[in-house]
Amino acid sequence: MRLLLMLACALHAQRELIPRDAASVDAGKQIYMGSCSGCHGATGEGSQGPSLLSGRASRLPDRTLLGSIKNGLPGTSMPDFPMGDTKVAQVAAYVRSLTSPAIATTVAGDDMKGRELFFGAGRCSSCHMIMGKGGHPGPDLSNIAADRTVPQLRESIAKPSARITDGFRGVSVTLAGGKTVHGVAKNHNNYSLQVLDHEGKLHLINRAQVVNLEWKEQSLMPAIGNAADAQNLIAFLARQAARGKLGGAQ
Amino acid sequence: MKLALLLLIPPAIWAQVTQEAIMRSPDREWLTYHGDYSATRHSALRQITPANAKSLVAKWVFHVEGAKKLEASPIVHDGLMYVSNTNEMYALDARNGRKVWYYRASGAKGTRVNRGSAILGDNVYFVTADCHLVALNRSTGNLIFDVEYASMDAGYSTSIAPLAIGKGILVGVAGGGSGQRGFVASLHPDTGKELWRFWTVPGKGEPGSETWGGFPAEMGGAPTWTTGSYDPELDIVYWPTGNPWPDFYGGRRPGDNLYSDCVVALDGTTGKLKWHFQFTPHDVWDWDANENPVLLDAEFRGKRRKLLVQANRNGYYYVLDRVTGEFLHAKPFVNKLDWTTGLDDKGRPKVKPEKIPTPAGTKVCPSVRGASNWMSPSYDSVTGLFYVVTLEQCDIIVASAKEPVPSTGFRGTGNEGIPTEPGKFYLRALDVLSGDKRWEYPMPGPGVMWAGTVSTAGGVVFSGDDDGNLVAVDAKSGKDLWHFATGHSLFASPITYMVDGRQYVTIATESDIFTFGLFSAE
Repeated sequence: MRLLLMLACALHAQRELIPRDAASVDAGKQIYMGSCSGCHGATGEGSQGPSLLSGRASRLPDRTLLGSIKNGLPGTSMPDFPMGDTKVAQVAAYVRSLTSPAIATTVAGDDMKGRELFFGAGRCSSCHMIMGKGGHPGPDLSNIAADRTVPQLRESIAKPSARITDGFRGVSVTLAGGKTVHGVAKNHNNYSLQVLDHEGKLHLINRAQVVNLEWKEQSLMPAIGNAADAQNLIAFLARQAARGKLGGAQ
Repeated sequence: MKLALLLLIPPAIWAQVTQEAIMRSPDREWLTYHGDYSATRHSALRQITPANAKSLVAKWVFHVEGAKKLEASPIVHDGLMYVSNTNEMYALDARNGRKVWYYRASGAKGTRVNRGSAILGDNVYFVTADCHLVALNRSTGNLIFDVEYASMDAGYSTSIAPLAIGKGILVGVAGGGSGQRGFVASLHPDTGKELWRFWTVPGKGEPGSETWGGFPAEMGGAPTWTTGSYDPELDIVYWPTGNPWPDFYGGRRPGDNLYSDCVVALDGTTGKLKWHFQFTPHDVWDWDANENPVLLDAEFRGKRRKLLVQANRNGYYYVLDRVTGEFLHAKPFVNKLDWTTGLDDKGRPKVKPEKIPTPAGTKVCPSVRGASNWMSPSYDSVTGLFYVVTLEQCDIIVASAKEPVPSTGFRGTGNEGIPTEPGKFYLRALDVLSGDKRWEYPMPGPGVMWAGTVSTAGGVVFSGDDDGNLVAVDAKSGKDLWHFATGHSLFASPITYMVDGRQYVTIATESDIFTFGLFSAE
């Protein structure tokens, strides 16, 4: 029994080699911006150094990541950063946060206020759904914290048009006979077009029926300008994982 | 007048999938795994006929990225086709195979295959390999709920296509080879909340528990890994169950081992057992009864009866009264059947003692794969024929008395083929009442073959073969009409549907969805 407990503690300790709390991530970000961003980019996208968001660097085991920061990688341009284990762990926490699903991270902000905003004044739920509550035709956010990182959530809220997810580009289609369909194009090619409108109705259209097709350059989603609102919204969305923390963190 | 009335119905209501709509399937649509509640897999479509089948051409192919073994029968409704794979679901434009939405169950564990989905109201349903029922809005793929109904930590997993009856979504579990306790559960269509559960292995002291000789119910198996059928008038669900565990050694579970290898008739509202029929009491050959229980009404020995028929893995074709469970008739539908001297007048097999597996190995026919298996048969009431893929094969089965430990891969030992006697597959047409063979279509084999059939009012039966071909044969004669080499092995049964006035035939291969229709110069 004691052995099992010790084993459980050891496993727990191993899992916690890199902290996940918001304070550690923020502290790590400060150090990262001063010491790492020059080569790896401000959000880990890579420049002179490799991207930390994809490829081998994004899949390093905890110990290897910590060791690489602390001791550098001999034979490469990655230098050592002998700044003490706590700071090394904080930098690692920030690096991990760049690729961890939001549900696996601790996020600042008031998630209850974020919920109020989502379903209330922010009118997010007029286009998005969470577990069947809300509207069309925006992406379903029921599982968004398992599928997206916090930086991705932040970007979507601050700059909705920076990246429009496949299947959610706005379109207005005028059909022979004069009928016009407004919505998002779930898919399209030279022969057919599948549009989801604001009522949640799908229109399966042959391109031969199309008289005019107008693509929206901007996302249908407005940016959230207020920083506190945006943070609260991120805090709320970062809790939305259908299977909770365990499922989402896998 | 009818058209005017239809136009008055608001689109949202028009589009809702009701139990009544599923009772009309398969007409133009394919609304449940078997096509219909009766599991006849017989479509009313008649555009493709023996006269024109030779002009079938490929209409579109959809590649399921990363798929290794698609086993699903798709659902088709309102111009969309729903295709499920392990822990994921696609909605495709059924006219051209274009992806409309995609859902992946983030965090789902387990890698079991998936055999299909269900549709009811505005939701489509599928299970993840770790026994969650997932409901998605059918137009958008938006998640409505994701509810666990059995725990993977307890060894459960699943691959089943759920069955949507008006009041519940019915699901089952695997576990016949790993020592879990089988069950059928009905979950609420709006919330996933469990409405009832029927355990296929009775708990201690419950009726039927005396058939296990004290073996723990928790390890009994009798899994529920294939989709049952349903009679809405009687409100009875007919669910087939799998083998008792350990598969090949029965020494620790003396008795009939109810309700393994049965069809259980359950009240659709309460899940209470109405009757059961056990095909293979005290199974030591791994002959799950998970073949489709097909429902039909016909005159039998001068009396109009509600019947249930099944081509069982043990080699016999059975005819039962589905109101009472009474055994009416059985007949071998394969030549290679040697484990009995026949059945008694209650349908109980008279087992030859020398066919009980031993540590040294025992030759038994049919093989462990069975005379048929979960590949779907179909039944055409006009021809009166039951179309079923059959396997003529024997195996050497080895049994071991080793202490059984669940979820360790232990099955009481196992089986091996006989190299000098390779199995051979046939698509056979049986007289639905007598089980007499009317014709057969030999497969080229020996090969891999888990594809079943769909029959049509046009007089064409579609089936996979064990060389990766989708084949069309004449429903009356079995004459070869058309084939298409998919280049893959086939693990799924074909379906047929109609959109914009055109009949299509679809089959899932290892990694792609192939859809065919008649050639038309456009």
